[in-house]
Amino acid sequence: MTNTEASGSDVGTRVRGMVERAIQRGVKGFQYATSGPAKVGLTPKTTLYGRGTLQLYHYTPLVDELYRVPVLMVMATTNKAFVFDLLPGQSMVEFLLKRGFDVFVVDWNPPAPEERGLKLEDYTQDFIPTCIRKVQQETGQPDVSVIGYCMGGVLSLIYAATHVDGPLKNLVCLTTPVDWKQMGLTTVWNDERYFDVDRVADTLGIIPADFIRQMFEMQKPAQRLAGQLRVSEQMWNDEFVRSYRAFERWGDETLPLAGEYMRQTTKELGWGNKLFTGELVVGGREAKLKNVKVPLLSVVAEHDHLAPRDSTKPLLDLVGSNDKEEILLKGGHVSLIAGPSAIGRMWPRLERWLAVRST
Amino acid sequence: MANNGPPDPAATFRELVTTWERNINSLANQVMGTESFSRMMQEMQRMQLALQQATSEAMGRRLAAMNMPTREDIIRLAEKIGDVDRRLAHIEAALEGNAVPAAETAPRTGRPRTRQPPAEYLSPNNQNKETPR
Repeated sequence: MTNTEASGSDVGTRVRGMVERAIQRGVKGFQYATSGPAKVGLTPKTTLYGRGTLQLYHYTPLVDELYRVPVLMVMATTNKAFVFDLLPGQSMVEFLLKRGFDVFVVDWNPPAPEERGLKLEDYTQDFIPTCIRKVQQETGQPDVSVIGYCMGGVLSLIYAATHVDGPLKNLVCLTTPVDWKQMGLTTVWNDERYFDVDRVADTLGIIPADFIRQMFEMQKPAQRLAGQLRVSEQMWNDEFVRSYRAFERWGDETLPLAGEYMRQTTKELGWGNKLFTGELVVGGREAKLKNVKVPLLSVVAEHDHLAPRDSTKPLLDLVGSNDKEEILLKGGHVSLIAGPSAIGRMWPRLERWLAVRST
Repeated sequence: MANNGPPDPAATFRELVTTWERNINSLANQVMGTESFSRMMQEMQRMQLALQQATSEAMGRRLAAMNMPTREDIIRLAEKIGDVDRRLAHIEAALEGNAVPAAETAPRTGRPRTRQPPAEYLSPNNQNKETPR
């Protein structure tokens, strides 16, 4: 075969492929437009406990022999926990279950109007301790490992710092900011000279989900449209579309926040930067990070725009743990826990770290 | 080896989208990362909240005139029920605290908790050492 013939054959193959994909785009685009929301969070689970905004799930173990220490994952208060269990094959929960962990997850319902007064005290001195106690009862084990994501990591850190004799065995902080003066655009927008958080909390009571979502989306204003353009081109690719829709649903289901909680986090953590300075007091207890003595793993993303690198970097220097480690990975705030970087890099390293500390 | 075939329009499109997204985000962040933008954004928010508050107060006065509970009244009632719920949870916690320690209770998950990490995980050379600090 001559070069010209081979080249002609390549062009033919490519053109045929392009035409096939164009047809697929049309057919699947119609299905996309007419189908309901993505099916997420499919790993079997039971609701172990619920009270107001708080939900505690227990996932059904997938192997016969478990590690002794159960794992409790704490979701950020602004989003639903199904990002931990996005899709089969793209689920951190499923991954840990298959590796022999007994997995529990703290999820949040939208706070009801009467929960507008919830504070850090409720989350760190009531909700997390209650869930840990429920996990102890369910498993019969005296200690529990906690994995906190983003603000869930902050709450877990405050819990750990205020429960030094508590049953915490290991603490994993995923994209957890501690230096709140380094939070990028969030720091600029929440400038205390201009941001009247008292007025926002007093007027709204519950901060609407749209308000929170806009704050997130404004930080990457082109992201949504770029995503839609990408998915329109990739419409022939079922796996890509499935993953895109799951992430899209997760972003759309941003949660409202209790006004009092927002007021407190803005003033104490944002303006006062008290988690970083060690001046934070929650429920009458000092939440100094040097009180955290349990083995600690911090997993951070290189291109995280919500918890930028400078805000997560000081964690290891601030905690009192002897056994501590940081894993810095490529990726962003969400892809770190549920994207390709998570599947290929983060989950295996997390599992390895936890496994040797869970017997 | 260089690809001598015709350009792939889909790949070109993806690259264009990525470049466009990066540029727009970068430009927007420059604009929105300024003090003047922050001041303007918060000023707009203040006006919106003032309007919302005025509407809510006017509605509250009308409902009071009709001898009907306002949203605020209902929320206060629900808060009181929430308080009772919280107290019950604390009583439950206290009772559980007085019961046998967690370690001595029979676990409901009836699978053996004897799993050991694979041997290679225990080797110091195979720990997470890629980004030590």
